[in-house]
Amino acid sequence: MALQSQNRLLTCIQCGKCTGSCPEAGRTPFNIRMLVRRRQFEYAIEESLPWYCTSCGACTLRCPRDVKPSEVIIDVRSALVEEGQIPVSIQKALENTAVQKNPWGRSRAKRGAWLDLTDLAIPHVSETASRRLLFTCCIQAYDPRCMVIPANVARILHRGGIEFGILGEEEVCCGNEVRRIGESGLFEELQEENRAAFEEYGVKEIITLSPHCMNALKKEYGDLGIGVRHYTEVVADLIGAGRLTLGGDYEKAVIYHDPCFLGKQNNVFEAPRTILGAVKGLRLLEFSRSREVSLCCEGGGGRMFYETEGSSQRNSELRVLEAIEKGAEVIATACPFCVMTLEDPATERGQVVKELSEILIEVL
Amino acid sequence: MNLLVFTKRVPATQEEELRIVDEGRAVDLSKMPFKLNDWDNYAVEEAVRIAEKTGGAVTAISLGDSEADEVLRRAIAMGAKDGFLIEADRVLHDPSARAELIRTFLTREAVAYDAIFTGVQSEDDQFAAVGGILAAKLGLPYASMVIAIDSLEGGQVTCRRELEGGGQERIRVALPCVLSLQSGINEPRYVSIMGVRKASKVERRRFRAADYGDLGEGMIEVSEWAYPPKKGGATMLSGELEASCKELLAILKEKGVYQ
Amino acid sequence: MSYALIVAEVRRGVFEERTLDALGLASLLGKDTVLLIPEGLSPVDERLAATIVRAKVEETVFLNPLAMVQILKKVFDSRGKPEVILFTSSSSGIELASYTAGYFDLPLITDVSAFDGERGLFSKSYYSDKIFGQFRPRQGSFAVTVRSGSFKELARPLAGPAATEVIEGFAPVEGRSFVEYVEEERGAIDITKADFLLSVGRGIGSKEEISGYEELAELLKAVLSGSRPVIDKMWLPKPRQVGTSGKTVKPKVYLAMAISGAFQHIAGMKESECIIAVNKDPEAPIFQYAHFGIIADANKLRDKMKDIVKA
Repeated sequence: MALQSQNRLLTCIQCGKCTGSCPEAGRTPFNIRMLVRRRQFEYAIEESLPWYCTSCGACTLRCPRDVKPSEVIIDVRSALVEEGQIPVSIQKALENTAVQKNPWGRSRAKRGAWLDLTDLAIPHVSETASRRLLFTCCIQAYDPRCMVIPANVARILHRGGIEFGILGEEEVCCGNEVRRIGESGLFEELQEENRAAFEEYGVKEIITLSPHCMNALKKEYGDLGIGVRHYTEVVADLIGAGRLTLGGDYEKAVIYHDPCFLGKQNNVFEAPRTILGAVKGLRLLEFSRSREVSLCCEGGGGRMFYETEGSSQRNSELRVLEAIEKGAEVIATACPFCVMTLEDPATERGQVVKELSEILIEVL
Repeated sequence: MNLLVFTKRVPATQEEELRIVDEGRAVDLSKMPFKLNDWDNYAVEEAVRIAEKTGGAVTAISLGDSEADEVLRRAIAMGAKDGFLIEADRVLHDPSARAELIRTFLTREAVAYDAIFTGVQSEDDQFAAVGGILAAKLGLPYASMVIAIDSLEGGQVTCRRELEGGGQERIRVALPCVLSLQSGINEPRYVSIMGVRKASKVERRRFRAADYGDLGEGMIEVSEWAYPPKKGGATMLSGELEASCKELLAILKEKGVYQ
Repeated sequence: MSYALIVAEVRRGVFEERTLDALGLASLLGKDTVLLIPEGLSPVDERLAATIVRAKVEETVFLNPLAMVQILKKVFDSRGKPEVILFTSSSSGIELASYTAGYFDLPLITDVSAFDGERGLFSKSYYSDKIFGQFRPRQGSFAVTVRSGSFKELARPLAGPAATEVIEGFAPVEGRSFVEYVEEERGAIDITKADFLLSVGRGIGSKEEISGYEELAELLKAVLSGSRPVIDKMWLPKPRQVGTSGKTVKPKVYLAMAISGAFQHIAGMKESECIIAVNKDPEAPIFQYAHFGIIADANKLRDKMKDIVKA
């Protein structure tokens, strides 16, 4: 593995397309092209730099030479992790995940607490005929603001006639951010535990609520032999097949923000738009940077647990300002990280951020 | 400098709801995740830093069940040279009993050390006593709430103790000694899962606690366990602004943060 | 003659109020009370205990565990071993109590917060106050440390002045010595080391309001901190941020002013010993985590507090 990444590094021609697409470039000291260069020559890299990366993946997608700069960042971070020299808040997130299987260290036993928000009786996946698993995600299991999302999606899937079950407290963090932080040992442990549960219960299909979970389960868990989809893909299909009708009206101008892990990294651009397009009265707006070039909200890559020194405007704020400028009343997105990062600047400016399921639930 | 650090494996109860079972005779810890006692984490880090600076070694010791080996591995991953597990099949609540057992162990096994570090207290029982009791039994000088070790020279430790209200006192303690370290004395390094796995290759010696002391009764006994008196959410201070402010000041005084 | 020996906590000439909790528990145990004090403490309320024994040593020697056991030995020699020795649960109390217990081989129960007289059981906190162990000492003489605020009201002044005694003739102690007191460094801010944090949230409204909070923090000897929006807006510098992407703090007191209680913030301070929340919104999530709450305009409360404290 190390030889592969070393070889990839050597193919870098320093074209700068990576830095050109990086959401951190220009506004922060982070310069991915230079970092790759330093890595080529095995020069030291200033300790705080690797932590700016948001794992949006734009650099890797644009690189003409398959250098995979996002992986270079992970390699650099791994070395820091093994040395133990990582920011305290990231340490805490990792330690919490090791003990309680979620980065906030909330009780593992309470991973199913969101079930209290719905009157639907949701079975354990082993009790379903379809063995279709709804993978909850740590944020949606524990953050009070986001706990409504699984409850919404459960109702929407139910309405569409989709049978599914959950793992409850047997589910552990998918490890997507853990791997990007560079803690490969912990990622392996999390992966093993989830895989063991999937095998034990004969899981045949996984629907995820978070694009980050989808990314990890689909692309980084090896060959699961299980189909993994984001819930928006499932719901868009239901709408297309006429199995889900949206009766209500939603007379609002809604601008859609493509999450990096759903959009550019996994090519799910149409499904959320199909969903929004099917809502009566909804006027769909687009950001100037949308789809493949959507502006990263800066919530991923460990950034939820670590704030960089910076006096420049956050991308999330820029997004909100553009939404206002374009006359949007609601910013819609399909990722809990984006919801959390956009909401603060949005609230200050009287803008509303809604996860897709929150709009859907109003028009079901 | 050669240092001994005591490490305890404790349940991570911060986020959990605990249940008392067996008619008040036990607390159900069967579903709890476990980890290294937070204070001991700081103590190991401090010991490792001192050993690195002075060219010595750190030995981690744990008095607990066989799973306690986990915390020894973690200490080794942080830089301890080796670990001793004094295996006991039951919990000794009485800090005096634990200290006495440890004293017997250290003496009989002729364990050499320049200083013994403990954490100020453990997250589970919060007795904050084993260090001091052990020091007295070993006839060694003692200090607790150590928030900084400033220097180690001429057979003495110069360190600072944390006092209420944020102030500190500087004291000098002769070596060998026992020190109980306060959380925040340093910023412990992160220990990766791979690091802990590598540490499994280092030998941890096992001993039987029963060989060094009476695991039976102690000098204090727990008659039963009880839940705290019911508290429904925040106690709201009501009334006029002035009255609330005065009540607030009274609370601050009682907590010892405002005189 | 069984008696209860209370070791007074005296620091920088101040008789710490926590000692009253020890006196309170002693009277609850129904024993004759003997209060042990060092030199340099006067005036002392002569009605606090039945007997006051003044050890002729400097306060800093009195606080040294190695010296304390020598002082106690003399007390035991002159009036016999007490049935119980009570210390405050404090920075000095925990060292003195544990060292004393080890030296004299006494059973020790620390952080006693309640006493059941009928069954002779002492309540001791486990798992950060989630469970209380009901302990009893197995043999005659034992020692305890007493939680601040638990028994203070029971320390009533006695009818007449105490009988006083002086004990002296102590050899200098070797092995540990006091050097000096060190004041807090005013350099780099480390909110994780503060005992008392006064934290402000977005609800204070504007940067102009910060100076008022700085003043209040100064008056209360608290350290100022803030939630993420406050730092984002640069009303306070980054080292003062409390939350998942800032610092995690566990002070004795966390006074949250105009903070709503977003999950990311709570995660950074929920282990504080005492959380007091001030917010004008009664539905603010922070009230679910707080021990005490005040529904009020934080800025107005701040101003009122300043007036009261300055008066």
